[in-house]
Amino acid sequence: MAERKHGDVYTVLYAAGVCVACSLALAAAAAGLRPRQERMAELDRRFNVLKAFGAPVTDAAGRRIGSDRIEQLYSTHVRERVVNAQTGQIIADRTPGGLSPAEQAAGRLLPLYEWIENNRVERYAFPVSGKGLWSTIYGYLALDGALENVVGLTFYKHGETPGLGGEIESEWFQSQFRGRRLIVPEGPLPIVIAKGAASEAERTDPNRVVVDGISGATLTGRGVMEFLNADIRRYAAFIRSRRGG
Amino acid sequence: MSGKLRKTFTDPLSENNPITIQILGICSALAVTVQLRTAIVMALALTTVTAGSNLIISLLRRGIPPRIRLIVEMVVVSTLVILADQFLRAYLFDVSRQLSVFVGLIITNCIVLGRLEAYALQNPPLPSLLDGLGNGLGYGAVLVLVAFIRELLGSGRLFGAAVLPEHLPRNGLALLAPGAFIVLGLLIWTQRTLTKHFDSE
Repeated sequence: MAERKHGDVYTVLYAAGVCVACSLALAAAAAGLRPRQERMAELDRRFNVLKAFGAPVTDAAGRRIGSDRIEQLYSTHVRERVVNAQTGQIIADRTPGGLSPAEQAAGRLLPLYEWIENNRVERYAFPVSGKGLWSTIYGYLALDGALENVVGLTFYKHGETPGLGGEIESEWFQSQFRGRRLIVPEGPLPIVIAKGAASEAERTDPNRVVVDGISGATLTGRGVMEFLNADIRRYAAFIRSRRGG
Repeated sequence: MSGKLRKTFTDPLSENNPITIQILGICSALAVTVQLRTAIVMALALTTVTAGSNLIISLLRRGIPPRIRLIVEMVVVSTLVILADQFLRAYLFDVSRQLSVFVGLIITNCIVLGRLEAYALQNPPLPSLLDGLGNGLGYGAVLVLVAFIRELLGSGRLFGAAVLPEHLPRNGLALLAPGAFIVLGLLIWTQRTLTKHFDSE
């Protein structure tokens, strides 16, 4: 090097100074913005519960409904419950938000959402989540009041590749589940996400629920398939108790 | 504003546009231009980052030890990008979800580092700020144009509101990545013809 204007000590101190300044800025922003970010994330979660339930979440022009409408629909129609995984009974005075991380991990208490219309429970939804290819995927699966057919499936948080695994968020993928008969008297049918398009024989197979996979995202599909089936099984006791079987 | 300063700002808008002339930042230009809303937010985020990092690096330019120059630049750029991402998550949650990784990828956008290296390290703060703003907006202008064409032809909407009559067929290709390539290619052709910019042999 022709000229060494700055010595090593200067260089190290300079680097440290830049790092401290940047960390301070980031820490301040993260702390200051957190309450608002959490509120937005909660609103998005509620939006997806509503969407899984098949509630009208878009207006006439096809745009997302606003936050007021989300809150209004959610508070009038959605009741948050907690279910005992072994007995399938609803535990009074508990809500999913009140479950500690330890309780969630143990899996003995399960969150459940009920769609109330005219004081009757018309539909049920529960969270589904698990590993995709790169990330943990979070979503909701809603079933009709008879706990037989799928009302809707949504995914709202994931870190899959946009355009490939990220397509799990798309309407065409999620709508394939809508109206499918998932629970038979013997129990839940296995969900199968095909590699690419499912054949006609697979699609009409009465013993499985087969949907088209996303090309280029076979591994994301496999992850989704595994956690959907596992999460549905966790609610088996609840489903049995409700279906009187 | 003197002529030279104005030129610093306006040059990247057209004659030296980062996308259509320098062919930088193509990845995000293809990825976030399905809708106008995401394109505009992305353009603003990138403009904030280029302008901010140009200004900061220009202020620091005499003190930065040459041996860690690039590292310092990257730290400043990363910080600004994370700040932009945090703000989007707090105030434009749904757009930030649609933009997903692409806000984070501004860090690796060649336009940002390119302007730091080519301009901010040698020039005083005010021209550097203008240069950053100009390049950000030049990038943004192309993004908005591409998104306008893609959203209109692909889904018949602008800003999510239906504008084309229902019976007109939509061009699904415009919504896909190949459609973006075609639109961008045509734009580059048009713009280079208009500004008489031709690559020398």
